[in-house]
Amino acid sequence: MKNTSTWLVLWAAMFVLWQCVAFASDQFKVTIGHWDFDDLSAENLAVNVQLTRQGLVVNASADSIVFAQPIGVINKVTLQCTELVLFSAQTNCAAGKLRFTHKQFGAQSITFSVKAMLEQERYQLSVSNLKFADATYAITANYDQDHWQASVVTAKASLTKLIQHISPYLDAIQKSMLSEWTFESDIAVQAHLSGDQRQVNALKLELHTSAMNLSDTQGKYVTENVAINLLLDLVQKNRAWQWHTDLRLKSGQAYAEPIFIDLNEAALSLVSTGEWHSDKQYLVISDAQINHNNIAQVQASYSGSLVKVETLDVSVKQADLAKLYSVWLQPFALGTAADKLEMTGQLGLEFKQQAEHYQLSVNLDKVFIDDDKSRFGIYDLKGGLGWSTNQTAVQSKLTWLGGYVYALPFGPSTLEIESHSSSLALLEQWSLPILDGALLVNEFSLHKEIGNKTQWTFDGLVTPISMESLSAALGWPVLHGKLSGVIPKVSYVNQQIQVDGALMVKLFEGTTVIRDLRLNKPFGALPQLYANVDLTGLDLEILTQTFDFGKITGKLDGSLRDLRLSNWQPVQFDAHFATPEGDKSRRRISQKAIDNLSQVGGGVGGILSRSFLRFFEDFSYQKLGLSCRLRNETCLMSGVGEATQGYYIVKAGRLPPLINVVGYTRQVDWPDLIERLKAVSQSSGPVIE
Amino acid sequence: MTLFKWLSSSVAGLMLVSCVTINIYFPAAAAEKAADRIIGDVWGEETKQREAPAPAEQSNSSSSTKMPIAVSVLNWLISPAAAEANLNINSPAVTDIQNKMKTRHDSLKAYYDNGAIGLTENGLITVRDAKAVSLKDRNTVNGLVADENKDRNALYAEIARANGHPEWQSDIQATFARRWISNAAAGWWYQTSGNWQQK
Repeated sequence: MKNTSTWLVLWAAMFVLWQCVAFASDQFKVTIGHWDFDDLSAENLAVNVQLTRQGLVVNASADSIVFAQPIGVINKVTLQCTELVLFSAQTNCAAGKLRFTHKQFGAQSITFSVKAMLEQERYQLSVSNLKFADATYAITANYDQDHWQASVVTAKASLTKLIQHISPYLDAIQKSMLSEWTFESDIAVQAHLSGDQRQVNALKLELHTSAMNLSDTQGKYVTENVAINLLLDLVQKNRAWQWHTDLRLKSGQAYAEPIFIDLNEAALSLVSTGEWHSDKQYLVISDAQINHNNIAQVQASYSGSLVKVETLDVSVKQADLAKLYSVWLQPFALGTAADKLEMTGQLGLEFKQQAEHYQLSVNLDKVFIDDDKSRFGIYDLKGGLGWSTNQTAVQSKLTWLGGYVYALPFGPSTLEIESHSSSLALLEQWSLPILDGALLVNEFSLHKEIGNKTQWTFDGLVTPISMESLSAALGWPVLHGKLSGVIPKVSYVNQQIQVDGALMVKLFEGTTVIRDLRLNKPFGALPQLYANVDLTGLDLEILTQTFDFGKITGKLDGSLRDLRLSNWQPVQFDAHFATPEGDKSRRRISQKAIDNLSQVGGGVGGILSRSFLRFFEDFSYQKLGLSCRLRNETCLMSGVGEATQGYYIVKAGRLPPLINVVGYTRQVDWPDLIERLKAVSQSSGPVIE
Repeated sequence: MTLFKWLSSSVAGLMLVSCVTINIYFPAAAAEKAADRIIGDVWGEETKQREAPAPAEQSNSSSSTKMPIAVSVLNWLISPAAAEANLNINSPAVTDIQNKMKTRHDSLKAYYDNGAIGLTENGLITVRDAKAVSLKDRNTVNGLVADENKDRNALYAEIARANGHPEWQSDIQATFARRWISNAAAGWWYQTSGNWQQK
């Protein structure tokens, strides 16, 4: 803008020059050594006026002319107007040439035409071949009683040089903002401005570039070779700037942390209309349409200040979830459990915000999601999911055909929920089929705390799940029995799921009760599971048959205290298994079981079969048991009683043949123990007495 | 007077005993050794293990220079076993994480080398110079950094838990922070007092 007014002043000055010339014959020549007029002064000014058939020919020259800032001094000035027409109230120069040198603008050779109606204060100016920042500009300007219009056109200008040349005229804040960026691009510009006096009232800008390279100093916002077409319409009305933009990015690559867009694959356009009230610092975006080709179509509107939202509406049209996720969602999910998902399906979104409250509803159709580490997945998910932060309730219904959490599959289900005041609650009991049982959830509530921490609780029960199906799903040996439980409360706070109450497993004719179950960061790098487990009245005969351990009859009680699984591997517990006190059942142990127990304790198998005891199929025992305190990959072992330098694993019964199994190794490497349990063999340790 | 003397000496004695009993050592030297082992495994041959600096002050104990002589004597008598305590890093979870980090290092190394990522003071990593990464790889690097930090945090927590002292997590993290930087290869960037420096 400053440049336009600068040139207007320059041309006005030229007119003033020749207005001062008087005519008396065909030719008139004036030479002035030093000339001053208001803010204008000239050295060695020479004016030569010649009368021709077309009008007057004016040739003027000066060694230097000093204008007010920002123009300053121009040197070696020559002005020629070959078709000067003077009327009483009008002066025209249809074809003029001006040459001069300027410290900043360099050597200029400009052609121009001028029409000036001084009394009416109307001027028309057209300039071409103006050189600025290594580019050539054409400028036209009309001035009509304080109202003016100007247009600037250049076919190719270097943005870097343009900014270098403009920066001396910018204020400190603008300069520091510009210094945060690097620009490299050749741009074609057509700008049309209009205004009153020193005020710009409208701007129409067309900008094209085939390769915009732009970056902030930190590299958070970068474009590389981006082809840009920008149309900007800016009008000032009632103290507000109204705009309409049409921005199209066609090729190249762009990054705005954390989003990366390859425009060669999908072009991006932004069309928006709005108003900016600078006096109230109030922004209205009445309509904004973002179209990311084949990936997302977003419509938005906004009102509010730059820092405080009054209303914001965003809607994302049903879009391909796979593409939407990889470009627009995944970058925000990095570091969370949802950062590496494979998905298909369609997603649409509506977001409405008023002041601090908002409602969000997401519509899903035929959505299939799989975690790349196979930790969770859901199939054929459809329906809506709503969230409201104020009293306005949003109801939603989601259905799916199946899915899994780790090795545990779940079946088809429908979830009907209502959200208001940053919370979610079930509209009716929810049943999630798990294998041949189900998880029934009665009361579920989810709440988002300030700071975006989510916590939820529910109560419910697990209807019997057969251990056959559960053990098959978990890759265990086939177990017989049922898992069920009443869960008074499951809560999730600070990435930790805590199960109050007890899960009960009917296993091997006995009861296993799991209490104090806690799960920390279930989808984190190392999920941690904590629990206390009590086992009572297990039937050893069924148990030993199941694991093909060698037949043992009798009962077994046990406990696993302070159990911790890290990444689903046991790393800590205090385990104790033993024949219950006062057990009245028949207690016999087979040769094979004794062999295996010996080997688990680090002993040699097959000793019995090499002695006379091989003639006995089984032996009576008084009690048996093993304890293991697992810490740091080492199991500190003990049995059902202390023996000389060792501990009893099996204590003989009262009837012969009497057989005791005594363990001598107190500290056993846990992985070794597991190996021994898996394939029972080798080495001495326990002694068969 | 005798009663007073007896009382005061008993109280002093009790204070001494209580000082010692709450004085649970964080095994700084062992932690550094453990950290060096893991770092050596994760980063491989190219990063040379440097001489560990003198172990930092014990986290839960009062400074030895400020200790009453009696307490120092008592500590000398009682605590050597604790001071030389080992730090176990052989849990399967630690091994798993270590392996994941080792595999990831193949992808991260180029970005350590060109200064795109640097080591932070708190034992994590961060994108230091995004401009050193091509635009299309930016999110891959962001993802690698997020995964690495998730694993590092899990590693520090797991070592603390596996050794029966979850409260040691921050000490372990601080030890690792020093050792990552100390073991870093020449040319890599690390943070100190909020500023970036190059090895």
